[in-house]
Amino acid sequence: MSDAAIITTNNVNLWYNEKQALQSVSIKIPKNRVTSLIGPSGCGKSTLLRCFNRLNDLIDHVKITGEITLDDENIHAPSTDVVTLRKKVGMVFQKPNPFPKTIYENVAYGPRVHGVRDKAELDKIVEQSLRHAAIWDEVKERLNDSALGLSGGQQQRLCIARTLAVEPEVILMDEPCSSLDPIATAKIENLIERLKEDYTVIIVTHNMQQAARVSDYTGFMYLGKLIECGKTGQIFEHPKEELTENYITGRFG
Amino acid sequence: MAEKFHTELEKLKADTLEMAHLGRFMLRTAVDALIRQDAELAASVVARKEEIHRMEVRLEEHCYHLIALNQPMARDMRFIACTLKLITASLRIGRYGKVIANIVKEILDKPHIANLMSIPHMADLVIDMVDDAVAAYESDNLRLIDDFSSRDDTVDALRHSIFREGITYMMEDPKNISRCTHYIMVARYLERCADHACKIAENVQYMETGERVEIH
Ligand SMILES: Nc1ncnc2c1ncn2[C@@H]1O[C@H](COP(=O)(O)OP(=O)(O)OP(=O)(O)O)[C@@H](O)[C@H]1O
Ligand SMILES: [Mg+2]
Repeated sequence: MSDAAIITTNNVNLWYNEKQALQSVSIKIPKNRVTSLIGPSGCGKSTLLRCFNRLNDLIDHVKITGEITLDDENIHAPSTDVVTLRKKVGMVFQKPNPFPKTIYENVAYGPRVHGVRDKAELDKIVEQSLRHAAIWDEVKERLNDSALGLSGGQQQRLCIARTLAVEPEVILMDEPCSSLDPIATAKIENLIERLKEDYTVIIVTHNMQQAARVSDYTGFMYLGKLIECGKTGQIFEHPKEELTENYITGRFG
Repeated sequence: MAEKFHTELEKLKADTLEMAHLGRFMLRTAVDALIRQDAELAASVVARKEEIHRMEVRLEEHCYHLIALNQPMARDMRFIACTLKLITASLRIGRYGKVIANIVKEILDKPHIANLMSIPHMADLVIDMVDDAVAAYESDNLRLIDDFSSRDDTVDALRHSIFREGITYMMEDPKNISRCTHYIMVARYLERCADHACKIAENVQYMETGERVEIH
């Protein structure tokens, strides 16, 4: 790949107890680009995504080998602070999961945890993040209403705003549109397109058309291995590996 | 879902081959009619003009329909892209057949000059190229088309020689002018058909490998 990498994995293996879920995965994630991970259910997409901000650490009996670097620094080095890592590498989940608090508090929460106290400063971050997540106009009159009163698509954009509020470098999205209707999905996709100006986005999706639409690079995973990763146009027009070809044309199994 | 789509692609392929065979048949039959100066045979080619046009419209619509409903990717996308090109090329080849057939009745009055020069030989080479290009599409066998570049050169050389020879007969006797002009035009149409065969070959290559090549 020609673009400079922000995250690099080198021969990463991961086991849940005895079960190996990732097998010598080596991938470079280009900076300020959208990379999507596709592959059949259970192939390790979410597992790989969780490696990037060490969310797997929270799961018992997980063993990881190999190297993962963010900005050329090993994320497993003793000097790496996990809280700082997760601030740099934010995550948006499949089901929107806003806190049962006001819209304002959902976005202000992260910056507060990271020490922002000044009210004017927080107001600014909240507005900017909501604007950036393309939801400001829909919620600016009701910032003190509960976030749970928003539609699913709005909740998902709120969660993206919440992630943006701590100024990450990388945003991980695990099937962010799978519970949304086509209009809400289109809004998120447009948003992803704009986010890459300032962030690096890695998205897991089951929807191949979505991967083709939103991403610059696509990686295809199968049974814990990264089979092929390349420019999205190349992967969907003429993948190098027959396995990839068979998967994306639905000739699987 | 995917299975139904792939069954439809098989059907599209069978129908496209049928159209390709019709285009090739019109060209072959027109050349035969020209050689034998057979007006009736020539008329039978002209009569199929509407049929091949209808096939073109129907097959193109089928392709667009499959694209809109299935958003094909990778091999499936390349197959449909190649099929669309083959449909266009087959129509053109069939139409050149019709145009050659129309010439037959213009020059029935006298026997051919110099046994049509190299036209029958050139036609054989061109139709072989069409056959091999279509067979490569059918069977995914790229070996059938790997020498297309040199075969196309031969066809070009023959067209040029027919042109020069035709000019000579025209200079010898101005009464030959009209007849020889028709021959030169036929050679030109045959050369265009070889170009269409090369286009088909290029697209089969793309369909199979994802790589774009240019055959001159
Ligand atoms: N917490 C866990 N404990 C044990 N095994 C797990 C755990 N999480 C995932 N696995 C296993 O690891 C493999 C990879 O799972 P992962 O969730 O990464 O797949 P995925 O590609 O995201 O699948 P999906 O598309 O269904 O979300 C699967 O076999 C899964 O059963
Ligand atoms: Mg998953």
